[in-house]
Amino acid sequence: MSRTLCIALCVLATARGAPAQVKPIPKKPGTPAMPGMGAMPGMQADSSKTKRPPSARPGATRDTMTMDMPMPVPMPKGMPMIPGLVGLLPPVAPFLPGAGMDLARLPAAKPSQVARLADGDTLDLTAVLVRRTIKGHSFAMYGFNGQVPGPLIRVPQSATITVRFHNRIDLPSTVHWHGVRLDNRFDGVPGLTQDSVMPGQSYTYTVHFPDAGIYWYHPHVREDIEQAMGLFGNMRVDSPERDYYSPVNREETLLLDDILVNGDTLIPFGKEAPNYALMGRVGNVLLVNGEPRYALRVKKGEVVRYFITNVSSSRTFNVSFGGAPIKVVASDVSRFEREERVSSVVIAPAERYVVEVRFDRAGRFTVVNAIQAINHYAGEFLPDVDTLGIVTVDANRATPDFATPFSTLRANADVSRDIERFRPFFDRAPDKTLTLTVATNALPLATVQFMNVDTAYFAPVEWVDGMPDMNWLSTSKQVRWILRDDSTGKENMDIDWTVARGSVVKLRLFNDPKSFHPMQHPIHLHGQRMLVVTRDGVPTKNLVWKDTAIIPVGSTVDLIIDASNPGSWMLHCHIAEHLGSGMMTVLHVR
Amino acid sequence: MNHSAWIGRGLLVAFVVAAGGPFDIPLFNTPKAPDAKGQARLVFAPSPFGIAVTADGRASYDIQIEASALPAPSSLGAYSAYVAWAVTTDLKTWNQLGTVTNGHNVVGHAELNKFLLVITAESSATPKVHVGPTVLHGTSPSGWLQSFLSHPLFRGIPP
Repeated sequence: MSRTLCIALCVLATARGAPAQVKPIPKKPGTPAMPGMGAMPGMQADSSKTKRPPSARPGATRDTMTMDMPMPVPMPKGMPMIPGLVGLLPPVAPFLPGAGMDLARLPAAKPSQVARLADGDTLDLTAVLVRRTIKGHSFAMYGFNGQVPGPLIRVPQSATITVRFHNRIDLPSTVHWHGVRLDNRFDGVPGLTQDSVMPGQSYTYTVHFPDAGIYWYHPHVREDIEQAMGLFGNMRVDSPERDYYSPVNREETLLLDDILVNGDTLIPFGKEAPNYALMGRVGNVLLVNGEPRYALRVKKGEVVRYFITNVSSSRTFNVSFGGAPIKVVASDVSRFEREERVSSVVIAPAERYVVEVRFDRAGRFTVVNAIQAINHYAGEFLPDVDTLGIVTVDANRATPDFATPFSTLRANADVSRDIERFRPFFDRAPDKTLTLTVATNALPLATVQFMNVDTAYFAPVEWVDGMPDMNWLSTSKQVRWILRDDSTGKENMDIDWTVARGSVVKLRLFNDPKSFHPMQHPIHLHGQRMLVVTRDGVPTKNLVWKDTAIIPVGSTVDLIIDASNPGSWMLHCHIAEHLGSGMMTVLHVR
Repeated sequence: MNHSAWIGRGLLVAFVVAAGGPFDIPLFNTPKAPDAKGQARLVFAPSPFGIAVTADGRASYDIQIEASALPAPSSLGAYSAYVAWAVTTDLKTWNQLGTVTNGHNVVGHAELNKFLLVITAESSATPKVHVGPTVLHGTSPSGWLQSFLSHPLFRGIPP
């Protein structure tokens, strides 16, 4: 071992302190914590049944397990399951949508359709069970109005619409209008702005759209299940300005997602609490608009404007278009001050980016998600490329030719002017500070042991789930993700922050790299807009209004919040399982 | 060792103890410059996405180096500058980053998964290859990733 590595490890061991004491998993002999999955009504059996040994660990006992099916967790290539985890089960009952229903009788999911609405219009939005077929396997899942993604709601800026939401699924639900600075009463947060809409019930939302751009809607109840199973859709708010964006030949909406399957089986969710609580549920089949392959045919020279939303529970994407030039134009709540050339689009859960891509030669352009995974077993990086789709470019030349506007990087002076009045606040001391961390108890001993030795390095961003066995076994009963107010020590919902309406709040977020399992967090603030003004002390040179900002491990990020919209607004991590494990608080704007 | 040197060493120790995040690189001196001290920090390159990565997903970092007590390059031989390099872990590829002087330096850009950060004395500020002696060196935090092939947790699993 090199001197450098020795010192580094010694330093880390010192800095991290003694390993946390953990309690053993509560065990009731004869009472399985997770009943036989195959026996649960409505759950699809795994057709790849093979007998698995009770445990690869000599002398191990099968605490908390009685599953008749093999371990359902697909492990990444080259990453073995830790022997000490073989045979363990998460201490939750399994859940999949449509328990007891005949899959063949469910309606097949339809692709998203555009719902063009004018100011004052009403839309009925119904969450229903659907049958989705992914890579030849059919599953009972959810959809809005039978569509996956849900209808693309297209409205003019400043419109106000009525949405009558009907819950026809088997869980309580709500609809959250992500990124929209609407009336707080209709924000869709159970226990804060409304009660959950129980199965069979309805709720009427009034949604006002003050800002142009791309937004999305999703439930705010058990997002780890409902959103992951298909309850999401976009809202596109059109500016009255004809040249709000540059001219393009075509516009496309891409919702990026993933799903976790093992052969013909969906990996069940925790019924009473989310599992995959450590890293969030990272799927092994990547989806674009609900399908495993995106396909588009364009003409040579076409410029396509993509409205991209990451609707996955946990995965951060790095998307490129086969080498075609990309220009980033806008993000969550506004355009950028200046358009920029980029080689790929990095997009965390819940974020949106608007990019323009020019396909300047005939042929096939492969749309990929390309990342550097980490093999924690081998201690190495592993290039990982997933094909999301293909853009086929015909030899016929596109008309009109938008090569010139595409090559122009516009400066949006109105965006800069809007931001100008907030600049005096950029350099002042933070009004609020939060440390992002985690507490655990009763995790399996092998998980604790592994984490204690695998702490020499934490990637700023975990692009994939490199440890799905540990992750699968962790639930929100054992993992508590934390937003800690540095000034009071209060955590999550115990934090009681009230700010004056119209004030400008500087919030500093620090993602503690020395916690048990540090991970990036896409932090979302409801109902307001915010600017990321510095990252690790480096000022942001090209600002854009956001509602979700990724905080890498070890990073300190300063946000300027335009607290102009009155009400009680959630601030939380948008990794669904982190939210389900407590990582949330409320900002009251009075 | 004079008073300021002790303070410097104390600050370095404090830094090393504080290190452990994914962005800090303690730099270690060599017998060629036994009093030299240094530390480096990786900062994501400016990006509209907050996280800067290449199209194939490698992190893209600007490198900041704080150095002190570097002797004059000429005191080590026919050298005129200190140059920082991002070096692949197999030592095959040396990417020149920029010159380093005592104080704060923003030396350039690295897009490697794991790398060594090496500072050498060179005969010019822009040498074509590295030839001079190493005065400071460190390892990117990602270099601390370890193989668990022989760890008891995995014992019995074929590699």
